[in-house]
Amino acid sequence: MRFTDYITLALHNILRAKLRSALTVFAVVIGALSVTIMLTIVFSAKGFITNQFEQNGTFQQIEVSPEQSIQWGSNDNQCQGQSSDPSCVKLTESMVSGITKMAHVVGVARETQVNGFDGLFYGSKKLKLNQIVAYDTNGVVQNTMLAGRDIGPNDGNGVLTVTSDYADALGFKNNYQALVGKAVTLHAQGWYSGVGSDPIAQNNYRQTQCQSMTPGQNCEPPGTEITGKIVGVTDASGPAGGNGYTVRVSLGWARGMEENQTYQVSPMAQSVTSNYCMNVHGPCNPPQPKPTLTITDELALNGYTALIVKADTASNAAGVAKNIRNQYKVGAADAETAIKQQLAIFNIIGAILGGIGGIALVVAAVGVINTMVMSILERTREIGVMRAVGARRSTISRLFTFEASLLGLFGGVLGILIAYALTLVGNPIINHQLKGNGISSSNILSMPPWLIVSVLVGTTIIGMLAGLYPAQKAAKLNPVEALHYE
Amino acid sequence: MAVIIELRNVTKTYKLGDEVLNALDNISLTINQGDFVAITGVSGSGKTTLANIIGGLDRPTDGSILVDDKELSHLNDRQLSDYRNHHIGFVFQSFNLQNTQTAVENVMLPLIFSRMKARARKSRAIECLQAVGLGDRLMHRPNQLSGGQRQRVAIARALAVKPSIILADEPTGNLDSQRGEEIIKLLKDLNKEGITLIIITHDQNIARQAGRIIQIQDGKVKA
Repeated sequence: MRFTDYITLALHNILRAKLRSALTVFAVVIGALSVTIMLTIVFSAKGFITNQFEQNGTFQQIEVSPEQSIQWGSNDNQCQGQSSDPSCVKLTESMVSGITKMAHVVGVARETQVNGFDGLFYGSKKLKLNQIVAYDTNGVVQNTMLAGRDIGPNDGNGVLTVTSDYADALGFKNNYQALVGKAVTLHAQGWYSGVGSDPIAQNNYRQTQCQSMTPGQNCEPPGTEITGKIVGVTDASGPAGGNGYTVRVSLGWARGMEENQTYQVSPMAQSVTSNYCMNVHGPCNPPQPKPTLTITDELALNGYTALIVKADTASNAAGVAKNIRNQYKVGAADAETAIKQQLAIFNIIGAILGGIGGIALVVAAVGVINTMVMSILERTREIGVMRAVGARRSTISRLFTFEASLLGLFGGVLGILIAYALTLVGNPIINHQLKGNGISSSNILSMPPWLIVSVLVGTTIIGMLAGLYPAQKAAKLNPVEALHYE
Repeated sequence: MAVIIELRNVTKTYKLGDEVLNALDNISLTINQGDFVAITGVSGSGKTTLANIIGGLDRPTDGSILVDDKELSHLNDRQLSDYRNHHIGFVFQSFNLQNTQTAVENVMLPLIFSRMKARARKSRAIECLQAVGLGDRLMHRPNQLSGGQRQRVAIARALAVKPSIILADEPTGNLDSQRGEEIIKLLKDLNKEGITLIIITHDQNIARQAGRIIQIQDGKVKA
């Protein structure tokens, strides 16, 4: 019997009992749809996360931290300002130049997070300021700009970018470009001692207000306000996103913000005054020591918050991270290793959800068996005739297996089509949600071609396997008995 | 005439629980090519079993059967199926047509199993239906045809593969006498064209028209 005849006959037989075939196919559709939708969601989510990192070149990046037990992407820096802690290794300029010379390293960006700021003001809007970050503008860290430009190598003090979360909160949702060029005020806490602070006023406050306070009372002078111009809006989910509400400035400005400017009497001047009357007999009126302005480069003293190292390829990132750990005893984590661990959970979720769909497919297979057994009972005499006019046992067996496989295939095709329709409906909804969160990704729900092929092949094979028993039953029918079956 | 069918000591037994039933008991006979043979006997005499064994639908428990010098009892399922497909045309009492298919489609069925191409088998099916006088009923389904017409479709189906033997088991059993006579005439015409015709019947009027009558009684050839 020719292959095309198997298809024609099988189709004819399926269409003969339309309702029964439709119900059987429906069960397969449910199974195929469950498997497809569940796996599509899992793999789309996985793909989306991976894409986000790939777009930013993050898989080539290694995050170096003073802490040895660093987790990639964690902002939790135990060593911030704890240079005396022996478990924290200071990230120095010499380390930067050493890492730059390492094999497979194409660049290093120094990163620092500025503390001491608590507010971002624009007009009447006063928002909480979580963090100010700064890193080299050498291309190691690539930000996704939603409007304006990123911080460049020529930018000094007074220039900043904000995340889309800030832009939204400031009332510029869907109109980020309008925020570019606007001036905002960064508010620092009272004892802020960096660039823009007034150490003399702070010293006076300490001498006067704080002295008159009772012990235990919190003594804090008025905060410092620094003005900056917004030059760009970054994607909150990008590397400059941090925890969403983040301001990025140039590394030079950040260094200034971290400076410790004090206007105090130096210990030496104090000692001169104290010792002034030591050898004086009689009344002695020592000159009052004068406070002087001292500026300490805290960034140089404490080291950088982190270093972002870029490897030549993503596959070399893990090796570079290992070399950095071995050589400098610092924490160094590459994104790929960390992401792989995180994505492993998706594989487990995928297996569980796929398994649930698989159970639906098993139930569908039982439906196919039932349909085929019923069909054989009804067509026993017809099988007898076919045998009488020359059909071999193998021909009968193949014919019924073909029918069952086609039921599976139809279920698979319909399941895929419905799943595809659902992705078409689901994508705009998800796009809207993501946009609401400042993520400019679109149409993340997509069925990988291998999933489509797998579902079609899988349902066909399930149909085929379900058809094996009925087909054998049909093939083994005695033609004489079958011809006289009533 | 050359011998086309030769049965040597053919025995067929059935087990019904502890009881052993001899459907055919040591039968030996020959049928020549182009013969018109009527196999007669009362119900349960074994005539249908004999026809089934000649037609390759059943195998003897003992003995041998040669058709065109081919030993059927040695053939495997594939060879036996091909034998039925190429050499035998079955005509059944209850027609055994597929009600969901047209006359042409019913006639094409054996040709599907002989791997004939679609166009060729359709043209052969039409040819056969025209030969049995149903050229104007090609696209009719069995339930749109009379009993006599249905049996003609069944005969056309039997003719499709150009068989050397037509085995008709009570071909007029479900027809009135006039339609029955027409069918017998049609079969006799085919026999005249050289096809060996074996009719299983208990109707003596039909048997008398045959060139030879083989009467079976209790599984044995009576005369």
